[in-house]
Parts: sequence; structure tokens; C-alpha cells
Amino acid sequence: MSPDFNVFLGLFVDTLGYWWIIIPATILGIVVGAIPGFSAANTIIILLPITLAMEPATGMIFMVALYTSSRLGAGIPAILVNIPGTAGAAATPLDGYPMAVAGRGQQALAISFVSSVAAGLITTVAALLLIPWLSQVAFHLHSVEMIVVMLFGISLIATISAEDKIKGLIAGFFGLMIGYIGADVVYEAPRGSFGFLELYDKVPLIPALVGLFAISEAFVVIERSTILSEQGAIDKKQAGWGPTFEGIRATLVHWKEVIWTSLLGLVIGVIPGAGAAIASFVAYQQSRLLSKTPELYGTGHIPGLIAPESANNGVTSGTLIPLLIIGVPGGATAAIMAVVLEYHGVNFGPDLFDTQPMIAYGSFTAMFVTYVLLGLMILPLTRYFSHVMVVPTVYMAPILIAFTLVGSFVPRAYVFDMGVAIVFGIIGYIARRTGYHVAAILIGVILGPLLENYFLRALRISQGDLGVLFSSNIGNTLWVLLLLSLLAPGLKRYRGLSKSNGKKVNKV
Amino acid sequence: MNNEPQQRPRNILPDCIIPALALAFTVYYLTTITEVPWISQASAIVVSSLLLLSIMAFVIRSVWRIRQHQETLQFEGAFHKLLGYLPISLKRIVLLLLAIAYVWLIDSLGFTLTTFIFVFIGIVLLSSLANWKNALIVSLSCSVIGYIVFIYFFKTRFPAGPIEHWLKGIL
Repeated sequence: MSPDFNVFLGLFVDTLGYWWIIIPATILGIVVGAIPGFSAANTIIILLPITLAMEPATGMIFMVALYTSSRLGAGIPAILVNIPGTAGAAATPLDGYPMAVAGRGQQALAISFVSSVAAGLITTVAALLLIPWLSQVAFHLHSVEMIVVMLFGISLIATISAEDKIKGLIAGFFGLMIGYIGADVVYEAPRGSFGFLELYDKVPLIPALVGLFAISEAFVVIERSTILSEQGAIDKKQAGWGPTFEGIRATLVHWKEVIWTSLLGLVIGVIPGAGAAIASFVAYQQSRLLSKTPELYGTGHIPGLIAPESANNGVTSGTLIPLLIIGVPGGATAAIMAVVLEYHGVNFGPDLFDTQPMIAYGSFTAMFVTYVLLGLMILPLTRYFSHVMVVPTVYMAPILIAFTLVGSFVPRAYVFDMGVAIVFGIIGYIARRTGYHVAAILIGVILGPLLENYFLRALRISQGDLGVLFSSNIGNTLWVLLLLSLLAPGLKRYRGLSKSNGKKVNKV
Repeated sequence: MNNEPQQRPRNILPDCIIPALALAFTVYYLTTITEVPWISQASAIVVSSLLLLSIMAFVIRSVWRIRQHQETLQFEGAFHKLLGYLPISLKRIVLLLLAIAYVWLIDSLGFTLTTFIFVFIGIVLLSSLANWKNALIVSLSCSVIGYIVFIYFFKTRFPAGPIEHWLKGIL
């Protein structure tokens, strides 16, 4: 399972020969990633007749290219119009959108693209080199450890609501309660579903995301002529290619941030069921925690944009590892890839790397080539994408509402889900107008059900003994790290105060 | 003599809507889990307790600030704070009603026709009836491009109505 450099080089050159399938898949991926509701998973399902007719290697390369580019595409509306294309980009607007409003949308896009491409390239190489070790991660992280990983993500609620902690906590816990709607995984008992059968399977995520971000945003922005602030509009008019180069430079300056957040994304991506949303929330929270200027996060701070974008692109290569090694897909898209490859008679497992290296290693080289082509194709578009910001809101608001509402219909084909999006739109609008963070509500809605699932499984295995939460060495280490990350901001402040008091005393 | 302008107390009535919604939903949720095994209740009970504690902290802080004349709780001005001043607030309410109508009608009229009607009325409303020609061009483009890209090429499961059925017959 560890071929030499020449084999990788040969695979890389072979994969480059598939440019004719990678480029259209990449363009399609960017488009579907940017529209809420049109995930890579849905698109691969729609295009199954085409992928099933292809050779296994061609089909795999097509799916990998589409998946990879959709992850990058999801960040575009998150930055420009405050609407994450997928849940994995839900942390991107926290700093990306304030940059765009201030007229730095072009720069923000360049930062997002460069950090995504760099993270993709780094984690693809890391995945190739570390496959034997990374494949063990999923074996060691069980329900108990995953509970702590979820709590790392949830602790972001307190982090992003620095302006008003109490309001932030109310919004976050409200989101968690909404996330608990539906039948539980163990007893299938329906809870808090208002009698709607459509809610037995939990609150649908895309309508919640569309409502909290897109619809509420459309209602808010109509009081302005464009999304841009007054100063932002002036800056935007004067901008040429400068902001793109400035964005590239700013990302390269923060290369350490790109590396560690993308590797964090890779490790989280290896865990089946974890996904890009958790990775980006955890990366943002940890980035803020380790920053010397945490107070700047949420105001259009560059590391606040780099962290979630690097992490969610790092997840992409991670999700393929459990699929290829043990046949357990790391996410929805990987599950559909598994269906297609099994149709072609591909048997997953460590042997795959010897019997069909073009599928096994080729998946990663396809990802690598896709990221290289993505970087070349998309960076010149930053200037043109950012023109979305100058579209008058009288046109933008109705179009946003119509297309995102239909986007919330697509995953399950229930008109009910469009109604759910409107309800979340109203909640999101009230939250925005009264100082509650919609991202805090969304974190709860996304991570609540996941946390509860792991919690229920852990209790089920231990027959109701809560001591199970502290029963593993890895879990206990993670608990300590979680405790430290929660206490660190307070300790930092305390040390800062002590130092300044000490200086005052010395002066006196 | 203090010449500094005295800051008006902030009206926090609109700020109470989210805690009130959260409280109402939590009480409702807890009534639905009385019969389920305790393992299914545990997680929700922990989170609802934390939510109730946060709401209590919000209430205590608000009472203290009201007593300090930093905040106030009154209906006057609450509507403006929530919805904006009159022309904008009316636009927001009508846009919301339009969005509800869009969801209500899309199942019978289909994506193409409902999107055309919604986007056209939406733009005309937001531009105070001034831009009806542009509204016509934009709404027509949106519905036609939406049909071609999503329904014709991607075969996406959008709600179908008379136009979709008619076009399916001739294309």
C-alpha cells in the first residue's frame, strides 16, 4: 500500500490525460456547489446514467472532480451574498461576508480559492503518504470520542457570539433544540415534530440553511440599494486585478494557518459521518482560540476565512480513505461513489491499492489534478464573480428567494421543505434584526442531531451508564483538550489584565 | 452642569422574541418526550436546562439594565426596530406574503410559471412600481433559464405545472 514516487508520477501523468472529463466536471461542480440544495451528491445521482456508462476509472475521476470543485464552489455565495452553498461552507460567511460588504469581495474570493486549492493539494499528498495510518483513525474514534469532537464544534457558538455571550448561547441552544426534532436513532420515538411526518427524519438541513441565511438576508438587504456598504461601493469601483493578487499574497502569508487547518480537515474527514461542516466549525473555533487577535474574528479577518475554507477542502480527500480501505463511505457523496464503483465490480479494501491502483491511488491523483486545474481556471474569475455585489437588491432579493426556495425543495422533493425554509427565514430575520447570530442557530441545527446520535449510541452500548463518556484514553485526552480550549480565552484575558496591572503598579 | 447628550434607553422588546420562541418551543418539546425512554430524553433535557439558564440570565440582565435606565421594554418603537420604517416594512411584509404564496402555488402552477410571477411582482414591488419593463425581462429570463438549465438539462425534480407538462409534450 505504499508505491514509490515513480508510480505516483505515472498516475499523475495518466490522470492529466483525463483533462477532457475533469474540466467539464469541474465547471459543473462549481455551479452545483454554489447553489444551495444542489450538492455534488445530488448531481452525481442525477448523472448516474452517464457515470455508469463510463469506464470505472473515468467515472471515478469524473465524480472526484465534481465533488472536489463543488466544495470550492460552495464558498462563492457564502462570501458574496452570505448564503453558504452547502453546510460545509456555513462558517465561511462569518468573515468572508463582512469582507465582501466592505468592498473586499474580490480579495475574499481569491483568499477562499487559494486556501481551498492549497488545502486540497496539501491534504491529497498527505492522504497518499499517510493512508496506512489515517485508515486507523476511524477505528479509534468511537461514539465517546465523537461526542467530544462535536462539542469542539458546538463551542464555536460561544466563540462567535463574543459581542453578547448570553444572546449567542440562547441562539445556539435554541438551534440544538431544533436539531433534536424528529425520531431518535435508537427508539425511533418522534419528538417535537408538531405532528408533521416530514419532520420525523429530523429538520431538513438545506431548508434550514436556506432560511437562516438566504431568505433572512434577502429581507434584510432590501433597505440598501446594493449589498455593498457606501465605502465598499467606492472601493469596488476603483478595484482592478489588485485585490486578487492581494488575496493570493495574504493567503500565502498565512501559510501555517492553511497547513494546520487543512490537516485538521483531513483527519476529521477520515471519520465516517463527521463531514465538512464539523471540520470548518472546529477549524474556525481553534483558529480564533490560537490567534493573537481573536477580537478581529467576525469582522472580515483573513485567518477567519482561511480556516474554514482550508478545513472543508481538507475533508474532501479524507472522506475517500475509509471508502477505499474498508468500504465505509465518509460522507453522502462518497457513498454514491461506492455504489457506482460496486456496480463496476470494484471490491474495496487494502487489496484495491494493488489490484486497481488507477482507482485507489488514482482517486487522489484525480483530486490533485482537479485542484491544479481549479486554481488555474477560477482565480481569473474572482474579478467577475465579485460583480454580483453591485446587482441592485430590487432584482437580487426576489431572485434569491425564488431560487433558494426551489433549492430547498430539491433534496427530498417535498413542498413542505419550502415552508420549512420560510419559517427559518422568519426566525433568521428576527435573529439578525435583534442581535442573535444566525450561524449560532445553524451550528446547533447541524451538530445537535449528530451529537445526540453519538450520545445515544454511547449510552446504549454502556446500558445507560454515563461513566462511558470518560471510559477511553483518547476520549479523556480530548476532554482535557476541550476543557483547555474553553478555559484558554479566560486565562489569556486574566494574564493580559495581570500584566497591565503589573505595569501600572511599576509606573506608580 | 452636564452637557453630554443623554443616551436614550434601548428598547429590548424585539430582543425578547427569540428567547420567547425558544422557551415556547422547549416547553412544547419537553411535553412530547414524557413517554419516551430516559436515554432518548437525556440529551434534550441537558440542552433545554442550559437554554432555560441562558434565558434566565437574559431576563436578569434585562431587569437590571431597565432599572439602570439603560434599556426599556415598550411597544412604542418596537415595530420600527424589527421591520424598519414604513415603506421598507410594508415591502418586507408584502415580500413575505409573496414568498408564502410562491410556496402555496408552486405545486399546482409549477416552477416556471410561479417563478415568473413571483420574480416579476417582487421586482415591481421593491422598485415601487417603477421598473415594470426591466421586471418583465428579468423574470422571464429567470424562469426560462431556470427551466432550460435545471429541468431540461439536469432533469432536476422541480415542481411541474401546465407549462412543464406542455413543454414535455413538444420537446
